Amino acid sequence: MKHGVAAFAVAAAVCSSLALISGCAKSPEIYAPPEYVSWRATTDVVLNYPIPGHMNRFRLPRMNDLGFSAVPKTVGGKLHWDFPEDTVIVKEVYATSKPGPGDKPIQLTIMAKDPGDRRALGGWLWYTKVLPDGKETLFPGNYCITCHANANEQHPYGDGNPNEEFRDYVYFVPGEKPPMPGPHPEATGKGR
Amino acid sequence: MARSRKRFLSLTLKVDLILIATLAVGVGAVMAAFTISLLGSSDRLTRENLAQQGNILYTSIQNFMIPGDAPLAVKFFGAVSIASPNYSIKLYRRDGINAFSDNATIDTVNSNQTARKFARRLVIPDQPAMPNRPGLEKATAVPPEEVFFRDDAGGKSYFRSYKPLLNLPKCTICHGSDHTIRGVIDIRSDVTSVIAIQNLTLGAGLAGFFVVVGALALVLGSFLRRVVLDPVKQIGRVCTAVAGGSFEGRVEVRGRDEIGSLARTVNTMVEGLYERFELTKYVSSGTIGAIKEKRQEPKRVGRTLFFTDIRGFTSYTESKMPERVVEVLNRLLDRQSEIIQEHGGTIDKFVGDEIVAYFQDEDGPNKACRAAVAIARFCAERLEENDGLAVGMGIATGTVILGMVGSMRRADFTVIGDPVNVASRLCSIAKGGQIIVSDATRGRAAGEFAFRGPLAAKLKGKAALQKVWILTGSAVPEEGS
Repeated sequence: MKHGVAAFAVAAAVCSSLALISGCAKSPEIYAPPEYVSWRATTDVVLNYPIPGHMNRFRLPRMNDLGFSAVPKTVGGKLHWDFPEDTVIVKEVYATSKPGPGDKPIQLTIMAKDPGDRRALGGWLWYTKVLPDGKETLFPGNYCITCHANANEQHPYGDGNPNEEFRDYVYFVPGEKPPMPGPHPEATGKGR
Repeated sequence: MARSRKRFLSLTLKVDLILIATLAVGVGAVMAAFTISLLGSSDRLTRENLAQQGNILYTSIQNFMIPGDAPLAVKFFGAVSIASPNYSIKLYRRDGINAFSDNATIDTVNSNQTARKFARRLVIPDQPAMPNRPGLEKATAVPPEEVFFRDDAGGKSYFRSYKPLLNLPKCTICHGSDHTIRGVIDIRSDVTSVIAIQNLTLGAGLAGFFVVVGALALVLGSFLRRVVLDPVKQIGRVCTAVAGGSFEGRVEVRGRDEIGSLARTVNTMVEGLYERFELTKYVSSGTIGAIKEKRQEPKRVGRTLFFTDIRGFTSYTESKMPERVVEVLNRLLDRQSEIIQEHGGTIDKFVGDEIVAYFQDEDGPNKACRAAVAIARFCAERLEENDGLAVGMGIATGTVILGMVGSMRRADFTVIGDPVNVASRLCSIAKGGQIIVSDATRGRAAGEFAFRGPLAAKLKGKAALQKVWILTGSAVPEEGS
């Protein structure tokens, strides 16, 4: 009996250690389930103008209902967005700037709000999934968040965040005003 | 079946090899781990330091750069390189060309925005040949990767990092949106002196390793040789000597440890073997054989009994000095014993000047007669040397009882029975040089020997007269006689 208890304790200790070593105490999770296609888009703007990282590939960002329930606070006279935990934004990336009706996305980029996860950057987990057969993979480094950090300051997309509100790294927040008149990214040419 | 042949390796060599291998693996593993850890730590520290510097520079550029100030950053990087000769920061466009070394960027920015136009450079310095930039592809790929590498050039060693500069959305207004990577920050740190110290440490460590291993091998080898190997060799020599019949050697007992205990045990064993060996001189071979074969039960067997006795020995002892008596007696007994054993006989016992022996097998009577003839010849040839002493002999053949006779404390494996008594009586009536045999013995040896008789003899303990014969020699005359 004592041997059985000891063996169980050793096995439990080994499993715990392995879990800690692997850094994945959580069970594997799918952030973009098949029904994500029914989630609402975060903007009406047609996102087919060239941007760094995706060029002029057509993008369609969708967010789960939890994300749409977010209400910004006012901090220092400015709106301050803090999307609730478990908010998921799935951005479909298509192969061309004008996909046909039957075309499928070639890639999903995913933002999952999970500030408690030690791998989170800016409170978000940044995933990518190459379609059709790829798995959701945590994007290494700070490539994604470096660009998305611009969402919290003035930028050339959507309303341009003229008041430099903290928008929680999200370029198109719910209820965002239409794009401001002025130079549009589509107007820009080749650069250095 | 083929037998495997193993090369002979002495114990000393084996122990030395094991010691060196153990030390080399043990100390070497620690040294290797230490060295790898040292080099790895140094590399990691430098790498992390460069990464941190890259991040600070990048963050500075992101947060403090006002549009149009990038050339100032390049100028600042140049000033840093001048102030710190072992350290340089450079800014490359994504194609690897030094930033702002021409008007390409200024022209692009001017064409993309209308609010402010930047002045073109009027003097363009000569462009050096595009240097090889290993790892630039990785640093400018999408997604990019921060690249670290070691660069050895001009006799110096550098650690370098390529920190990718992203074309952030806010930058696209001036620089366009058709690219993701603007360029890279190249941070180069001269680590020649660090590498030299590392190499020196490594060399000193290796030298120390060999010195320590050599010294430890010598010390431990010497210690083991003195404490273990030499005593073992000595034990081997003593055992070899014992196997060769010499019991004089002893192992020197040096300590109270296991080896010392073994040495004491071997010495005790050799002493015991010596005592047993000496005892074999006083105990009949039959007794020794019985002890060896653990046979204690008596049994009836056919034997030819052979008795010899020196005639006139009692009066001889009274007329001679004891030393002379013992000398002559021992010579006679010794030679008789040799002759009996040479002919396959077993010495059962010595009783004063008398020898009791027996012969087994079918031709026991012949062997006994041959031995008797040889003894008679010896005594005749050495009569003068033995002060005229001669030996009388009696031989009888028949069934005897063979077994342990005596008490629990002292016993002999001997023979008893009528042939023993008969042979004894025949010996007692034989004159010096005379061999008297029983009728049964003569009947089996008649083909080989000549006998005179039969004679009727009155033997003590026998009511009837016994038919006896006097052995006169070989039936066939010996060559030359």
